Amino acid sequence: MSAILECKEVSKNFGALAAVEAVSFHLEQGEILGMIGPNGAGKTTLFNNIIGVYKPSRGKILFQGKDITGLKPHRICRLGVVKTAQIVEPFRAMTVFENVLVGALHGGGMRMKEAAGKTDEVIDFVGLGGDKHKPSGAITVPGRRRLELARALATNAKVLLLDENMAGLNPNEIEEALILLRKIRDAGVSIIVVEHIMRAVMGISDRIVVLNFGAKLAEGPPREVMNNEQVIQAYLGERVSAMMSETL
Amino acid sequence: MISISKKAWTWLALALAVMCAAPWLFTENQYLLRVFTLIIFWIGMSGCWNLMSGYTGYIDFGPVVYFGIGSYVTAIGMTKFGGSFFFCAPLAGIIAGIVALPIGAVALRLRGAYFAIATFAFAESMKQICLEFDRAFGVSLFEGSHGITLPISSFENIFFYYCILIVTFAVMMIHFWIEHSKYGLGLKAIHEAEDSAEIAGVNTMAIKLRAYIMSAIFIGILGGIEAYWITYITPSDVFNVHKTVQMVIMTLLGGMGTFFGPVVGASFLTILSEVLGTEFVENYLIMVGAIIIIIILIMPKGIVGTIKEKKNIRFI
Repeated sequence: MSAILECKEVSKNFGALAAVEAVSFHLEQGEILGMIGPNGAGKTTLFNNIIGVYKPSRGKILFQGKDITGLKPHRICRLGVVKTAQIVEPFRAMTVFENVLVGALHGGGMRMKEAAGKTDEVIDFVGLGGDKHKPSGAITVPGRRRLELARALATNAKVLLLDENMAGLNPNEIEEALILLRKIRDAGVSIIVVEHIMRAVMGISDRIVVLNFGAKLAEGPPREVMNNEQVIQAYLGERVSAMMSETL
Repeated sequence: MISISKKAWTWLALALAVMCAAPWLFTENQYLLRVFTLIIFWIGMSGCWNLMSGYTGYIDFGPVVYFGIGSYVTAIGMTKFGGSFFFCAPLAGIIAGIVALPIGAVALRLRGAYFAIATFAFAESMKQICLEFDRAFGVSLFEGSHGITLPISSFENIFFYYCILIVTFAVMMIHFWIEHSKYGLGLKAIHEAEDSAEIAGVNTMAIKLRAYIMSAIFIGILGGIEAYWITYITPSDVFNVHKTVQMVIMTLLGGMGTFFGPVVGASFLTILSEVLGTEFVENYLIMVGAIIIIIILIMPKGIVGTIKEKKNIRFI
């Protein structure tokens, strides 16, 4: 397997604050990579660096071996790296169909007929068929999360970056979302998942990257990362980690 | 939904035919012809504003600057260089578009009130340049506050009616295209959530800039036509902020970002002012103001916008 996306020593400073500090990792073709870390660890900032919302202060981002560092977000989207935002922002005045169509036409660079076909296909794929002609402002929260996914998929994304796409969902809905993610991966899309819901991330990820204070703390298979001393410390604090190592 | 129905084409052709035939219904009455010309002139002007601000949500408070530039290009071209009107008016549009390119590229990086302030400031500063340019450089080009008198045309009012009709129809065709194209969908996406649009692959800057330049070109041509029609221009006249305000109010009244918004808003306000203006010469403006306020309170999204939302219909 080869790396489809690679970050090399990516750093981002906001003034004196180092939000992301020399983070390196790679995403393999067809992989689901979980990214976890406490609030403020730099997960969203790292995503924004990858998709071009921010320009990294240092470091390089490679997509399929090509340097995409510092390109504009729409260019990176058209290449195939697409993010779904943490705070969902549908184009409210438009219908669900038109929302997804924007992705197919602009991000996917398709002609109208082809784009309409792709849109129909993607809407059915994420299970929004019933809401197709509703205004996007009028659908439920889980529906909006799916809409974000659909808009990203319609661009023919090769790499999906999901920024807390499951926030605000109940256990049932999370279960459905996980099934959908696996379906997307099986369709050939590589995925990075940022999520706070541990059970979800641990269950679905092939590998996990842990960030803390903007730096990479650990990397590896879920089970290994969960037992990592430093990771437990970052999440639960020193005393708990000491207690846990005693009991183990 | 995005394909264009035959019905829509039929309606467009019908509208054009009616507008072409309209002046022949009252050839005797020059006053009515003038009112009609004014209506389509304002449909064109507020349509240009709607193209840019209505669809993207970027409130442009200085579109009149391109009207002024168009007027001056035509006036200077005709009086100083002896150009013909048929050459100068399109040239006015082209030059307005060329000026709009760098201005838009800078100003469109600003959002909300800052964009409005920047465009307003640009319009005011262009007015000052036209006023002071000759004195500062010792030339006789803009003629300062005296203004420029254009050669009096041998054309009748009906000639200007058709000139303005061509431009306005072109503006409405662009609206039609926006309602049915990839480009238009991008514009609307920018209105709703610009950052989301950008990460969904919309080249937001290019799309905004194109809308800004298109609106500048047509406002410029309208400025050129009006200058030749009125035959006398001064900086405080052609750069008057009242023109901007009128474009804004007409579009708001009709409905921002809708196909029929500028048509309804401009027709309604022009006819209202004419009717009330002849009946109540002294205080008709107070009544016009009150009516605008009442409509905006009842229909916050404009006449067309509110009907569209309530009934959930697509007009075109």
